[in-house]
Amino acid sequence: MLRLLSSEIYRLVRRWMPWIMLGLIVVTAFLFYFLIWASINAQLQAVKSGTIPAPPEGTAQLTETLRQIAPDRVAQFGVGIVAGLGSVMLIVFAASHVGTEFGWGTFRTLLAHGASRSGFLVAKTVSLVLYAFVFIVVGTLAAIGASYAVSAVAGISFGSGVDLAEVARVAAKSGYTFLPYMALALAIAVWSKSAGAGIAAGLVVYFAEGLVATILVSLNKDYAQIVNWGLSRNASALTRAGAAAAGQDPTASTLPDPTRAAIVLGAYCVIFIVLAYWRLRSRDVTVGG
Amino acid sequence: MNPAQPAILRSYAPAVTVQQHEVVLRTKQLVKRFGSITAVDGLDLEVRRGEVVGLLGPNGAGKSTTIGMVLGLITPTAGHAEVLGRDVRVRREEALAGVGAMLEVTSFYPYLSGRDNLAAVALLRGGGALARVDPLLARLGLAQRGGSKFRTYSLGMRQRLGIASTLLADPALVILDEPANGLDPAGQREIRELIRELAGENRGVLLASHLLYEVEQVCDRVLVIKKGKLIASGTIAEVTRGGGNYFEIVVDERRRAAEILRGLGITEIRDTPTGLDVVADPTRGAEINRALASAGLYASAIVPRASSLEDVFMELTEPESPSASPA
Repeated sequence: MLRLLSSEIYRLVRRWMPWIMLGLIVVTAFLFYFLIWASINAQLQAVKSGTIPAPPEGTAQLTETLRQIAPDRVAQFGVGIVAGLGSVMLIVFAASHVGTEFGWGTFRTLLAHGASRSGFLVAKTVSLVLYAFVFIVVGTLAAIGASYAVSAVAGISFGSGVDLAEVARVAAKSGYTFLPYMALALAIAVWSKSAGAGIAAGLVVYFAEGLVATILVSLNKDYAQIVNWGLSRNASALTRAGAAAAGQDPTASTLPDPTRAAIVLGAYCVIFIVLAYWRLRSRDVTVGG
Repeated sequence: MNPAQPAILRSYAPAVTVQQHEVVLRTKQLVKRFGSITAVDGLDLEVRRGEVVGLLGPNGAGKSTTIGMVLGLITPTAGHAEVLGRDVRVRREEALAGVGAMLEVTSFYPYLSGRDNLAAVALLRGGGALARVDPLLARLGLAQRGGSKFRTYSLGMRQRLGIASTLLADPALVILDEPANGLDPAGQREIRELIRELAGENRGVLLASHLLYEVEQVCDRVLVIKKGKLIASGTIAEVTRGGGNYFEIVVDERRRAAEILRGLGITEIRDTPTGLDVVADPTRGAEINRALASAGLYASAIVPRASSLEDVFMELTEPESPSASPA
């Protein structure tokens, strides 16, 4: 098992895709911070010069938005950027990480060299979790760096600085909510022997399920009893627990308890991995996979 | 150990004393059905250390399915396969630790170099396999291109890399499915020599190939399968003996010649583009010549021939004519 994992990691670090994704999250973090500052700053300058009329509530709202750039807001703003883009990228990566093995026919090669099917799945799962961890750490560090850099350029006060414990706590929760979506993408990739199908299924569920759940709960809060067993509502419950944003969402009061949400998301991970293993175990591996 | 062997091969020699002629692969009544199709039907085969066994059969005969079951890629419907006495279904990882296998489609990671692909397999194999990567690249003629991405490799280079990967684990059993695909004649010859060297190191080799000349050159025994069933087995000499001896006769008037030969009691006569092939005892050459000449038919050549493996293979595996089918 450890030999297969070391082979997996050996291949992973030599693949372009994970490095490109890490580069993208770093660039995106800096770009987001810079664009927010440039955009708000331009609006403030325009209001000051009278080019555009001042908003009815004054520039306080704009100034407050600009304050999001400050290092003491990284836990909400910076991690939010990483989570928003990172979730999509990690779903794509999870499906690709497994699905390409079938497309290239390398799953068959690994098995022919003595790898077990359970070992293959464990190695894939562990390497995915490790990569997601590295991705979130790198993304969060980039967000922290971007926050300090752009704040320094913009002359925004650093405030109390970055609360590393809070940032780590929020980032860990965000990362945990990605796992069931990644496990779903992996399971679909295994069943369909296709990275594309895994990506499509993962992204459709990620976007559509949350949308449907929000609409249903908006129509009738009783629907929460049903949709609260889905992925998106439990993910929301976990990431919004204790967050100031919770009060801005009219459906937030119907979200499940965070502890229950964590258990449900964990259960989904297990279910998806078990389903993938069940399929992998019973399948005859002919050409391809 | 033979000190005359190349160093690369000496380094693969098993570290422990091994029993000569030990059975490294045995299948017992192996069956695989895909729905209503029986791909492999009660196949028994054995491969011993130090021998090269050819697995022959037309397309769809069940060769790759058999190899798939031996490697635990395909679950048998019935029967079982044992490698070094270990049931592949029950103790797959232990069994395959002693096997190096190259499948008929050589698949590696396209974004990795040949060297990195071997290293990835070596890490999976463990046990010093990593140290064999570079020597194997050199042995298979890939040292210069070891750093190139696999996706840039020609078919022949891919085959060489596949063969190299089979030797990473110092295997007791090497399974090669069409190893010479895409190789030029010089490359095919190198592979034949390598296969013999592997057998010389007391490894068992199972070779599935369509190149009957290749099989004839390197195999100690052959197994011919058709529709999943073993229809012939034995040494090359034993199998070709079953095909009999014949005379290749170059003659103009084939029909008349055939009538004359039937008059000698010869019944197996086939038309060829230049004359006739006649199945008869090799001692009857003069008799045939005399009979034809007496009738005014002068053969340009009467050449005694022994059936080649190809002849026997074609005869054994030719599609059954409807009239030959049992009612």
